[in-house]
Amino acid sequence: MSVQVDFEAEIRRVGQALADAMPTHARNPLEAVDRKAMELAERDERLQAALLRLVDVTPACRSLEDLAGHLKGYLDEVGERPPSLDAAMRAAHTKAGRVALGAAATAGVRHMAHRFIVGESPRDALRAIERSWAEGIGTSLDLLGEATVTQAEADRYAERCADAIATLARAAAHWPERPALERDSLGPIPRTNLSVKVTALTPLIRPEAPHVGREDAARRLRPLLRAAREARAHLHVDMESVDALETTEDLFFSLLEEDEFRAGPSAGIVLQAYLRESPVQLERILDRARRAQREVALVVRLVKGAYWDHEVVEARQQGWRPPVFESKADCDRNYERLTRRLLDARPLVRLLIASHNLRSISHAIALNRLSGGEDRDLELQVLRGLGDDLARALARSGLRVRTYAPVGDLMAGMAYLVRRLLENTANESFLHDWRGGAPLEELLAPP
Amino acid sequence: MSFRNEPTLELRRAPARQSLLAALDALDARLPLSVPVLVGGGRGRVEGIESTDPGRPSRLVARAGGGTSEDALAAVEAARRGFRDWGRRPASERAEVLRAGAAGLRERRLELAALQVRECAKPWAEADADVCEAIDFLEYYAQGAAELESGPELVQAPGERNLMRHAPRGVVAVIPPWNFPLAIPTGMTAAALAAGNAAVLKPAEQSPASALMLIEVLHAAGVPADALALVPGLGDAGAALVRHPGVHVIAFTGSSRVGLEIVRTAAQTPDEQGHVKRVVAEMGGKNCAIVDEDADLDDAVPALLRSAFAYAGQKCSAVSRVLCHEAVAGTLIERLAGATEALIVGQAEDFATQVPPLIEQEAQERVSGYSHLAAEHGRLVVQRDEPPGEGWFAAPTIAADLPRDSPVLHEEIFGPLLAVDVVADIEAACDAVDALPLALTGGLFSRNPATVERVIARSPVGNLYINRATTGAMVGRQPFGGNRRSGIGSKAGGPGYLLQFTEPRVVTENTVRHGLVVE
Ligand SMILES: Cc1cc2nc3c(=O)[nH]c(=O)nc-3n(C[C@H](O)[C@H](O)[C@H](O)COP(=O)(O)OP(=O)(O)OC[C@H]3O[C@@H](n4cnc5c(N)ncnc54)[C@H](O)[C@@H]3O)c2cc1C
Repeated sequence: MSVQVDFEAEIRRVGQALADAMPTHARNPLEAVDRKAMELAERDERLQAALLRLVDVTPACRSLEDLAGHLKGYLDEVGERPPSLDAAMRAAHTKAGRVALGAAATAGVRHMAHRFIVGESPRDALRAIERSWAEGIGTSLDLLGEATVTQAEADRYAERCADAIATLARAAAHWPERPALERDSLGPIPRTNLSVKVTALTPLIRPEAPHVGREDAARRLRPLLRAAREARAHLHVDMESVDALETTEDLFFSLLEEDEFRAGPSAGIVLQAYLRESPVQLERILDRARRAQREVALVVRLVKGAYWDHEVVEARQQGWRPPVFESKADCDRNYERLTRRLLDARPLVRLLIASHNLRSISHAIALNRLSGGEDRDLELQVLRGLGDDLARALARSGLRVRTYAPVGDLMAGMAYLVRRLLENTANESFLHDWRGGAPLEELLAPP
Repeated sequence: MSFRNEPTLELRRAPARQSLLAALDALDARLPLSVPVLVGGGRGRVEGIESTDPGRPSRLVARAGGGTSEDALAAVEAARRGFRDWGRRPASERAEVLRAGAAGLRERRLELAALQVRECAKPWAEADADVCEAIDFLEYYAQGAAELESGPELVQAPGERNLMRHAPRGVVAVIPPWNFPLAIPTGMTAAALAAGNAAVLKPAEQSPASALMLIEVLHAAGVPADALALVPGLGDAGAALVRHPGVHVIAFTGSSRVGLEIVRTAAQTPDEQGHVKRVVAEMGGKNCAIVDEDADLDDAVPALLRSAFAYAGQKCSAVSRVLCHEAVAGTLIERLAGATEALIVGQAEDFATQVPPLIEQEAQERVSGYSHLAAEHGRLVVQRDEPPGEGWFAAPTIAADLPRDSPVLHEEIFGPLLAVDVVADIEAACDAVDALPLALTGGLFSRNPATVERVIARSPVGNLYINRATTGAMVGRQPFGGNRRSGIGSKAGGPGYLLQFTEPRVVTENTVRHGLVVE
């Protein structure tokens, strides 16, 4: 009992310290234009839908006028419009008005996109990445793209990944030393870090035939693993929807079990705590990591999961039991249980806690400290645009932190942007409560 | 209505896949099945037609009785007897029997799916969905019959009592196709039975075994032998049923050629026939999908691929013509072509297969004829190698640059051939759709609410799908059926479908006696 109380007290202490380390305006990570849009979106579900549909269609519109036409169509479906939007609707009646409205909307969308997307190409992104590095924040680059539906598109994605590794590694050689980011008690940690998506590496993801996608994606992931090994880069395989889960996991381990990758590169996989089967999946992952007998620890990024709505809708349409928890508290509790299991599984694994939830993060940091672990044996990760201030606070506190930074053009970035906006305006999210000014005590309470 | 669709199997889970493979093994050990003529509880001939595995034509799946005109006559006679009892039962009782039938299908769902894989080369996910749809039809029409019994509300004036009832018509001849070997026969049979009719089922000669399993399940559930007969056979058995003066309703799904022939024959009303026949016909389609310049191609390409090539395009709802806005035509064609090249062509039993073999050699020849036409008049954008080995395979093909009068753009192909037709704008696309006499399904990919509204207003099709595949209609959610020359306009799995199997009777009773209302 008293251990429990001490533990909760430690979590609160860690959380308080992090909150104190954040800039005062940090309760709202979004600024000006975005904030206005977000506030509107949070007020009304149909407004939120209109905003998301606008963002989604922006790159496909051939002219500003065309974009304004779409915007008007979306707003038409919103029952009660705030006065500012009514003015926009009136503007849409004349050509000049539509052009102006289209220009404003494009600017708004670009501005929002820029918050979440670091640049159009890895080279483009270098400045921002180096600035972060100087502040003590690492980066994992993620290449956004259109959906892969052809072999040529998969090839192009793989080429972009190889280019990103080379570009980053070349630049990283000249970065100043940042000991907190470069070593834990198991050894060196790569500066260069790339996240890849399996659904982009093959057009053949077939939920009912996982081997097909696995074999096809392996042809492209294998050279990337080699490139990462040569460049001393870390390669992280993101986790997507359940439809791709078996493919992704099998692909990852079947390659890492190959002899040539025994000594490297550093590679990671993702565990999604919103999955009801995640505890079983974790045991399977640990088991496979043990059997692979690699010389470098397996890296596991623990997340809640980014496809909650998709999983629930798909399951409902098919009449299946959703594969995800349906209460946020269940998901959060599971996240903490998995955190504990993963911390205990060291040194077989290196653990990354990827979350913006101060409670989830503080829980992991406190648990690590109380069980005698060193701070440097835990990495914290945030998404660019959502966790920038948090990342700075973590860095200032001497913790190892990395930002997940997507790269890509506007066209490719929209699906990502829509997902982030949706996440950011979701009622059941930490960021929502945080922005809403909920007391810290409440935010740090056990789920 | 408190109807819920039967959940499909979650095939992304390995145990579900293994259970199906085990069912296939068990089925294989029992092949060939024998499918007798089943009339009035008696088992008739089991020789005459053979159904084979389209993926390995040397494998015999079933021997079925070649039902003759005499068998058809006997079946109608038995059905008339059966109708007397079945038609008098309260709707709630009939509904219970149909629900028991649904339970029976549920119990045998793995076996039923396996049979479709073998008999019709239907890939697993689709075979399983077909079984679920069959279960849905039984449940949905059972519920509908119970609701129909109370009749609609009529206007009531003082001194009179007005009632409207829906009585069964009598004997229904059910003539389904092979492409939904369980769902379509079940749907038409279940509607006939739910409304209180007796039914004679003449399955497609390519899929008699699936029909036999349906009949077995329904008889076991309590449908009397006389009220439901099975007459496997060729076209002549069906034709005899259609001509028979004892038949009241013909429920048909299949080609436009046969459907129109049925409409003509059924219209003849010989003197000894005491009623006018009704035809419920669901026929072919030439389904177009419109792709607007603002469409999200990331979504449109996979959806088009599914619509055109799933089950090798052998669905009446399949898309065979894309009307693409010229601003995105280049990109769309390139991505569609690449995605088509990546399709997995193979045996239906392989979970990876997206494009299985066609049903029979004749189909293979027909599709290849259209491919040649497309190559001659236009350009084949993708031409894949024919897969090696046995089976009636046809390579998935994309054609473009076809002249507007090419038959490839106008006729139903019923195979894996998709033509891309470039249009200047959405109005032109709507004009092209409007010019077609067939109007079954249609698709639209657009993110502009104004465009969506315009296309909805102009589209003549029975089922229009927006920003999704045009196949996979679900009972109760997407009542299904075509307009114009694609069908009579009825909607299977929707409200109102049962009414076609009934005869409305209105009763008005005078409740005034000596100037007083006695009620
Ligand atoms: C660096 C980084 C990498 C990431 N990589 C991946 C990845 O590879 N794959 C992936 O899927 N996600 C990934 N994510 C996203 C992550 O899964 C979350 O969507 C996001 O971080 C929000 O979670 P949170 O802990 O920050 O916030 P919180 O507000 O604490 O949690 C929000 C999350 O809770 C869950 N949730 C919401 N409502 C409910 C409910 N009713 N019932 C149950 N659960 C609910 C959802 O998962 C939702 O995203 C990554 C995130 C980061 C920071």
